[in-house]
Amino acid sequence: MTADFAFKSLLLLPVIAFPFIYLIGRASVRLSTRNTGTQRNPAKWIALFVMLLLVMPLVIVVKQFTAQGPFSTFIGSIELKMDGVGILMSIVVVLMSLAVVLFSDHYMSHEVGEEKYYALLVCMTGMVMGMVTSTDLFNLWVWFEAMAITPYILVAFYHDRAPALEAGVKYLFQSAAGTMLVLFGIILVFMHTGSLCLGGSCAIEIPKEPALVVAGLLFITGFGVKAALVPMHTWLPDAHSQAPSGVSAILSGVVIEAALIAMIRALDMISPVFTNAGTFLIILSVGNIILGNLLALRQTQVKRMLAFSSISHMGYIVLGIGITMSYGLINGAQGSFFHIVTHALMKGLSFMIVGALMHAYGNSKGDAHAPLEISDLNGVASRFPGLAFALSIGLLSLAGIPPLAGFMSKWQIFVAGFETGNPAMIGVVIFAALNSVLSLAYYAPLINRMYRQKPTPYLAKAGRIAFSMNMVFFALGILIIVVGVMPGTWNWLTNPAAQIIQKAFWGG
Amino acid sequence: MTLTFPDLVLIAVMALFGIGLYALLTIRNLIRIIVALQVLVKGVILLIILAGYLTNQIGMAQSMALTVIVADTIVAVLGMALAVQIMRKKKSLDTSDIAELKR
Repeated sequence: MTADFAFKSLLLLPVIAFPFIYLIGRASVRLSTRNTGTQRNPAKWIALFVMLLLVMPLVIVVKQFTAQGPFSTFIGSIELKMDGVGILMSIVVVLMSLAVVLFSDHYMSHEVGEEKYYALLVCMTGMVMGMVTSTDLFNLWVWFEAMAITPYILVAFYHDRAPALEAGVKYLFQSAAGTMLVLFGIILVFMHTGSLCLGGSCAIEIPKEPALVVAGLLFITGFGVKAALVPMHTWLPDAHSQAPSGVSAILSGVVIEAALIAMIRALDMISPVFTNAGTFLIILSVGNIILGNLLALRQTQVKRMLAFSSISHMGYIVLGIGITMSYGLINGAQGSFFHIVTHALMKGLSFMIVGALMHAYGNSKGDAHAPLEISDLNGVASRFPGLAFALSIGLLSLAGIPPLAGFMSKWQIFVAGFETGNPAMIGVVIFAALNSVLSLAYYAPLINRMYRQKPTPYLAKAGRIAFSMNMVFFALGILIIVVGVMPGTWNWLTNPAAQIIQKAFWGG
Repeated sequence: MTLTFPDLVLIAVMALFGIGLYALLTIRNLIRIIVALQVLVKGVILLIILAGYLTNQIGMAQSMALTVIVADTIVAVLGMALAVQIMRKKKSLDTSDIAELKR
């Protein structure tokens, strides 16, 4: 298989496969219920097969990238370019989707519309990879919109539950308005430059027009809705807490970060005119960090708390990117990209374990979708010791306790802040570090409850955790520890990605 | 000062976009919010065509406008579907009746 073919199949395989997953799943459910009276749904096996199949082209693409650097392919006349950022996001999204599909094997079994879930999940994977590799501003928007449509349906997946519908509606309207603001900005750029070419591959003259600054602000606002930048974050806690847990994991670990990547790509193009985009991002990141932390403190549902913690982690990622955009230091963006990887791992792990517990409590509470309250974690370690340990690793890593992965990536961002030598910037970094300590105030009680409190009566009657779930938790937990102990092993991935940001805003 | 043709179109774009955005922020009925979103999108589509006219790339602008119409229709359909489900569940389309998730 050549690298070019591998790249094409990486993008096209999910797009071609997803209608078949739905149709075959649907047909099989109807036929099996009519003929035998029992439901047989092969959708998850096809989805798993497709995801495993995706790993092969991904490996070839990664090999080609490490050997010869960025390369392009053409689908029709559309150019797609696999660069450092593209390869990082592709690896993260394929890894997370594979984990989520494995996890959902038991979690989603016998849900109505299971085939829809898997089809949309596979579709979303393809859309994220397409978006991060597009080289044209309008194409970027089309992939972005396509990537945004799948989560609308997935968030409102339990469409007989009023809270899920409410979350879906909030998500849909806010993010649809956001994408329209983005489109407005894109057209302003098109109007004043006559081109939509991204990433400096075609030299175009950027005129010094104030309209382009407006376009930049529209990009920050519009993409900011999807990336959950405060004050455009209000959809996130509802959407992430009401979606099926596998979807929460992937929304929190991949989709909001992908929206941030899209924002940076769009800001790349107008960077000669809109020079203080980095300052805007740093200011927004401060809001994200503090608001996410303060609101997480007062939550009583675990998934909602994790959702608010996503907002504050988004703040750290944006802070690092902002440092590179304003000061040209590579460490900032490198730390951010590293944090994208580690955040996907640890938030994915935490959301999925909470999902597994919700599923296990389903029998005893009589409602499989009842939200997991913080008090439900009491004494979990006595019944599920492995699970409690894995969740503790995830939470401690989110809080940034060394030597776990979350600490290493945050540390790199903070180092970049100190390297700037700017007193205001150092102040921001110290503030972010203090917030990282503050976040322990809501992570630590969960761990305390799991190990030191008396179990609730529900726990004794809770169902067992499936082997496929435990396998995923084990793999992700090991990855978090390994990445934390050997952070340098990820430089081959994060360094080229950060160089792209540095080059785009500082010309080398 | 005389208004040229692009100026007039730009005024129309701004009016549509402004009405849409204002309506999105103030209206509380789900179906009307979808209509407000449509008004906003129509403004953007008009701007696309204007941009194509000004940069002499009308063919490209038209294909972009068509793509936007398709993407926007999907969003509108999904919004309607959610509105129907909410109507069945809550017997109301008012967003303040629906909101029960706390901040």
